[in-house]
Amino acid sequence: MEPMYLFSLVSLQQEWLSSRQSLVAQNIANANSPGYQTADLVPFSKVLDKSALLMSGQDPSHIRTSLLDVHSVGDRRAETWETSHSGNSVSLENEMIKSGEIRGAFSLGAGVLKAFHSMWLSSLKG
Amino acid sequence: MDPLAASLKIASAGLAAQSTRLRVVSENMANAFSTGKTPGAEPYQRKTVSFASELDRASGTTLVKVSSIGVDSSPFNVEHDPGNRAADAKGDVKLPNVNMLVELADMREANRAYEADLQVMKQVRDLASMTVDLLKGSL
Repeated sequence: MEPMYLFSLVSLQQEWLSSRQSLVAQNIANANSPGYQTADLVPFSKVLDKSALLMSGQDPSHIRTSLLDVHSVGDRRAETWETSHSGNSVSLENEMIKSGEIRGAFSLGAGVLKAFHSMWLSSLKG
Repeated sequence: MDPLAASLKIASAGLAAQSTRLRVVSENMANAFSTGKTPGAEPYQRKTVSFASELDRASGTTLVKVSSIGVDSSPFNVEHDPGNRAADAKGDVKLPNVNMLVELADMREANRAYEADLQVMKQVRDLASMTVDLLKGSL
């Protein structure tokens, strides 16, 4: 583990949050599509558990797995608030709450990154 | 594809779908009293719009599209108005099967979904600018 583990951790979290934001966008866009099921990412803690086991390759583009791939997109059927008559399980309110969570976590991550980066810079500049 | 850029693409697909829905609602409301031109002719038939999710292979996400604009085959409203040029032999006029309340409710719902899509766009812009702001003041 590198000493500045935090930077890669925050960057992984930002990536997870962006992917989650794209799923929120997907759910909202399909809020009126008949038969559409709400999708969400697996929690970040699970991503962390898994990331330690990821294979490493010569070139990162060879084995790069995206957070948006099929295995990490969990289907949260049990957690939906309501299912309409058309079989659509998107709740706009729930998506807005998720959106707010993403925003809060993203700004926290960016703040932490900024603080540590300025700490780093101050040690470089003296 | 960058997830944030993909989000913008998805949200814009949502905006396009919802605005098509608003267009259909306005067509229905504008034609709520469009009768036929000849005696006994069929009036304007209410249009319906339905959405479907569509996999976008470039970004691996699910967009939304308008799958079909169909017609509502419910019976027409009939009114007795012998003076109307579309009246049949008994003096009945067929009026379109448009119910203003249904159209207004549909408009509200399209409005709500459109706003939610706009909210997504706003949020994506904020997230991107938060990332750019990391560089501000530190150089």
